[in-house]
Amino acid sequence: MSEEKILHKSDPFDPVFRYVAFAAATLLMAVLGGIVVSLLIGGWPALSKFGLNFFISTTWNPVTDVYGGAGPIVGTIVSSLLALAMALPIAIGIAVFLTQFAPKFISQPLSIAVELLAGIPSIVYGMCGLFVLAPVFAAKVQLPLVMALSNNPDSFWAKLVYGVPNGANIFTASLILAIMILPYMSAVFRELFRSIPPQVREAAFGVGATPFEVITGVIIPYVKKGMVGVVMLGLGRALGETMAVTFIIGNSHGFPKSLFDSGSTIASTIANEFNEASGLHTSALLALGLVLFLITFAVLALARALLSSQRY
Amino acid sequence: MSTDTTSPDFKSVITPPPADSLILEARGVSFFYGTHQALFGVDMPVRKNAITALIGPSGCGKSTLLRIFNRIYDLYPGQHAEGEILLDGENILAPRVDVTALRARVGMVFQKPTPFPMSIYDNVAYGVRLHQSKSKSEMDELVETSLRRAALWDEVKDKLHKSGLGLSGGQQQRLCVARGIAVNPEILLLDEPASALDPVSTAKLEDTLEELKRDYTIVIVTHNLQQAARLSDYTGFMFLGKMIEFGPTEELFVKPKVDKTGDYIGGRFG
Repeated sequence: MSEEKILHKSDPFDPVFRYVAFAAATLLMAVLGGIVVSLLIGGWPALSKFGLNFFISTTWNPVTDVYGGAGPIVGTIVSSLLALAMALPIAIGIAVFLTQFAPKFISQPLSIAVELLAGIPSIVYGMCGLFVLAPVFAAKVQLPLVMALSNNPDSFWAKLVYGVPNGANIFTASLILAIMILPYMSAVFRELFRSIPPQVREAAFGVGATPFEVITGVIIPYVKKGMVGVVMLGLGRALGETMAVTFIIGNSHGFPKSLFDSGSTIASTIANEFNEASGLHTSALLALGLVLFLITFAVLALARALLSSQRY
Repeated sequence: MSTDTTSPDFKSVITPPPADSLILEARGVSFFYGTHQALFGVDMPVRKNAITALIGPSGCGKSTLLRIFNRIYDLYPGQHAEGEILLDGENILAPRVDVTALRARVGMVFQKPTPFPMSIYDNVAYGVRLHQSKSKSEMDELVETSLRRAALWDEVKDKLHKSGLGLSGGQQQRLCVARGIAVNPEILLLDEPASALDPVSTAKLEDTLEELKRDYTIVIVTHNLQQAARLSDYTGFMFLGKMIEFGPTEELFVKPKVDKTGDYIGGRFG
């Protein structure tokens, strides 16, 4: 009797449950597809009118209705890569310290502090950037540098720091971005390092390696692919960040001419102009959105591929 | 003879090897995980060029004792050892000992294989490169000798530059043995090296150890009593953080001097 029950167990709710789950998954795909299609349709007038020029021209002029998106596209990529370059070594340092060196009574509060950093809303970062970082940066870094290099205005260094000394530029935007992706990256690095079996670390010490040799020779190579994946995810976050960057990047179209020049990103351009746009201008902004989506999608897909090929 | 091994004034029964044949000797070693005491005044003599086995039920402290011999416990704050361990007459528990150099002299192989994320060749060469610089041909030769001694050479000679992570469990464990002996340690510590291996790999590993004892001193922790009996020259039986009995393997297995030892070997507890 009871055997029969087990063999023929069926629940009338089962198929319903299956369809509900299927519907949820389908909805997700429909939303994703809908966004791509609406970006394509909305951006098509601008893309078809300007063609390749939309991607390589830096002329972005709502008055004459000419739109070339190279400035924001390059600004997006440059500011994100700069942010990554600043955040990466620090994130690795935090994770190495937390997992390899810190005693428990330090590592726990520090881990919590790192997570709290991730919880700060991006608009708060933007305000701090504009009201605190930018003036200090302009007065203490930008101005002295420009002055010091002013007797030789054609040198590489002078060109690198050229710009209006108001602290709102590509560099400070990257700095804010770096702080924003730092908690995420260091948290995932920490998890990666924790996933390494302790015996591997002991074995490396066991053949007489110093802590530095263990970390650079065994620990980091052990999770190398995963780390590249995390870097990509960090990049994906930096690419799409809007509010904080809009506050502090200076919002000028065209190529940034130096590290300390103002610029724009795709996200900041859209946030700034969507309100007043109409006609072709709207279409150009939608097309920029599509470009951002594609860049981010490519980066995240690469990250996924790298993370899933990580074997322990 | 009845002995209460749990009483505080319990005395270990130790039949040591000849005094001039010792390479390592633990004297009254106690060990603490924070405030929890795991070893209570353990004595253990280790004979040079012999295999010494440590047996005992789980949690008796045999792995803990092994981990003191190369001070790997130093990696974990809060763990500390008391007493003395003499390696060639020098106390390795003294604070001024260079643990990096110590670990090059006292190698360790773990329960689970721990290949590093690099090629088979680099796995073996890793430890050597840390301590000495060798020419390409010298290194090639050393890698080959080490892999031969670990009975792995024939299986990997055509794929030396493939990842060590791609080997089977048994091969990985022998790779770890090869890595351990490549730095030419005096003592090789093995912490249940065969527990994750199938019988064929286990037999190969045991042959390897038998071979290795001509040049090295081996201390092995094992759960497998047959393995201890057939492989080792000396055996120590531990229980509740104490060395209950230590002596030549045949004597300990055939005619144990402490009831507790006989009970454990006879399968009456454990």
